[in-house]
Amino acid sequence: MLSRNIRFLSRRYSQALTFRTSEASPTQQNENQIGLFYTMNNDLCKQLFSHGGLPKSFTKQAKTFTETALMVRHPALDVINCIKATDLNKPAVRYVLYGEKGTGKSLTLAHLLHFAYEDGFLIVHIPWVSEWLRRVPRHKEMSNSQSREGLVDIPLDAAAWLLHFKMQNQVLLKSGDLKISQEYVWSKREKTDAGAPLAELVEHGITRVKYACDVIDVLIKEIKLLSNSKKCKTFVAIDGFNSFFYPLTRLRTTTKKKVTPEEVSLTAPFMNITKNDWSNGVIVLTTDQLAVPADRQENYLPKYLLYQKGFEHLDPFVPVEIGRYTEREFMSCANYYRDRLWLRGPPELESELKLTSACNPYDFMELCAPL
Amino acid sequence: MYNNRMSMVIKFSIKHVLPISGFTSPIARNFVRLQNVCMYSSKATSSKNNVNNSFTDWETLSKKKKVSKAMKAYLERAKEHDEFMKRQQFEYNIGKRHLANMMGEDPETFTQKDVDRAIEYLFPSGIYDPAARPLLKPPEEVFPARKAAEFDEAGRPHHFLFYTGKPNFFKLLYDAAENIQVLHQYQDKVIRRKVTPDPNVSLDLNASVWLTKDQLEQMLVEGLNDLEYDNFKLVMERLVSLPYSYRYKEFIEKYRKSLSTQKFALEIPKPSYDENGCAIVTTYECLRKKARGDVTIKSPGTGKITINGQDLTYFEDTQPREQVIFPLIFTGMQDKVDVIANIEGGGPSGQSGAIRWGIAWGLRSFVDKSMLEAMQVAGLLTRDHRRRERKKPGQPGARKKPTWKKR
Repeated sequence: MLSRNIRFLSRRYSQALTFRTSEASPTQQNENQIGLFYTMNNDLCKQLFSHGGLPKSFTKQAKTFTETALMVRHPALDVINCIKATDLNKPAVRYVLYGEKGTGKSLTLAHLLHFAYEDGFLIVHIPWVSEWLRRVPRHKEMSNSQSREGLVDIPLDAAAWLLHFKMQNQVLLKSGDLKISQEYVWSKREKTDAGAPLAELVEHGITRVKYACDVIDVLIKEIKLLSNSKKCKTFVAIDGFNSFFYPLTRLRTTTKKKVTPEEVSLTAPFMNITKNDWSNGVIVLTTDQLAVPADRQENYLPKYLLYQKGFEHLDPFVPVEIGRYTEREFMSCANYYRDRLWLRGPPELESELKLTSACNPYDFMELCAPL
Repeated sequence: MYNNRMSMVIKFSIKHVLPISGFTSPIARNFVRLQNVCMYSSKATSSKNNVNNSFTDWETLSKKKKVSKAMKAYLERAKEHDEFMKRQQFEYNIGKRHLANMMGEDPETFTQKDVDRAIEYLFPSGIYDPAARPLLKPPEEVFPARKAAEFDEAGRPHHFLFYTGKPNFFKLLYDAAENIQVLHQYQDKVIRRKVTPDPNVSLDLNASVWLTKDQLEQMLVEGLNDLEYDNFKLVMERLVSLPYSYRYKEFIEKYRKSLSTQKFALEIPKPSYDENGCAIVTTYECLRKKARGDVTIKSPGTGKITINGQDLTYFEDTQPREQVIFPLIFTGMQDKVDVIANIEGGGPSGQSGAIRWGIAWGLRSFVDKSMLEAMQVAGLLTRDHRRRERKKPGQPGARKKPTWKKR
């Protein structure tokens, strides 16, 4: 038993140099680390992604490997360098990550989130827009909006998101620098005073689920104001953003009327925050084929996925393509799997896997799972 | 009037054409086999002329007193057969003339080729087996020639092994044993001269096997039992094992059948070269199921695979992708060649199968002989001719039967 452990350990450390980097902070990573894996701190991972943000299959694999290791890839580094070089006083720059299915858009976004956290951004992150608009469990809580006529609230999802927001930004919210600019009256008895900390507003949304959607609306407005007044810098990350522009959602009102995304009260605030009429912020969006139904999956380019409307809404933006693995990234990943004893067998296996998976990261992961 | 005559002609011709077609197919199949009689039985007569010549003799012969009973019976049978053949020949000639008239051609110059063409035109048949389709052939082709008498008019057999019952088979054993003896003597002589046998001229038997029992039976025109066949193999093996067996190469080869000759090795196309000096081989007609396409292989390359303008992601599933890369992996050429495939029709499995065959077929030009044989053994060079089987009425699928229920 002991000897086996030693053997495994020695094997791990003999290969460790080739695919791992000890540079765990995305702010410090540079070109030298491309294709190498860095391990995220477990507590941090829990804080950032406990309510989603990492793809399910990846979470499962991370659990098996007992560590969350992300690969440092070129697009993520590019965006980080761009953000570092940006003058935040100018209007917010929008980056759109796009690419084929399974090339790692969400994981790149996770990497960027990590960077944003390290760099002290206030994070506004939607793990997966389709979770709100397209996923309909048996009992999806829906109600008509009180404040805005003709709109539909999804209060539970909104409250869950507020929780996610609170979790991700607990450090910044605790510091108490962020104050509300004006008084908000929710009902006769409930109101939030001007000058109250932002955390109170969030807490109100979580405890009074009925008002969660309205709270989000207000929260986004406040965040924009705070950013403009240089109280904080904001990092907006939305995964599957193109879902907001697909003509229909899968939601139905109680009268069985089909709901368009504009009629969902959560759409408006996030449309608002993705405009570039504010400063001191960074916006990173992904467009994903998987966020829309199969009839809109012919192409992975953002113009096709966003429709004319979304494209005009986002114009101008910086498109960032997430490609498949390069030769080096592939070998690094294969070495990582071998290190985790996830991949075994003769060394010729890699060349075959490379051809079969066509260097697609997700395909490679799926192919290795039963090996 | 004309119509009437025409219909008579057709009636007549059908009468003559169809009956033959009705019962010829089994005979025709046996024909090849029975032809061997002429080739290997020592006293068989083969050609029709021979039969006719001897027939004229038999009438005078039968008048002689000193004729054995067996000979008498044989002569009677032969006479009967001869008359039958004459009749058939007559009918064949008439049928041929009618066909020529129907086709509006000159009956005098109407050849057998024209007859076949006319029949195909006048009696189109959808029957699958060509042997079962209507035909009009010269009777000597349809009815095999008989074995001629194996004994003279006094009833004395020609063949010295006639009374063994299987003269051809025992003649074969006899010859083999004699050859062995001769070889032994030769060997003794060589040893006395103190010369070592030259290893270069030894017999190469790797590419062939002994005839099977059925084949040997066909060849000898005699039924054999297992023991006799074993004896045959034993004797032949003994002959072959001798160091100077190559001296009887012809005799041995006669009883061996070569393994499937590697035809593909001979027909490997030479690659053409483009302006960059790349070798290019294009395989057209890559078929599998409903998929049709062509595959081009470029060497040297970098392992780029292009299918209908896309890369390997043209196939979404793993299985067809594996199909496509299998020949490349097998030959170890995955980084050495580029593959460009155009494929259409069918589904992913058929398309990938077609591409796989196309790649393997094209790679023949770039691999050495041993790899070629390995590819052959791996089944890469074999066309898969299986097609979708039709659904049958009364059952839910091609083979699937309805669920059996007692009541």
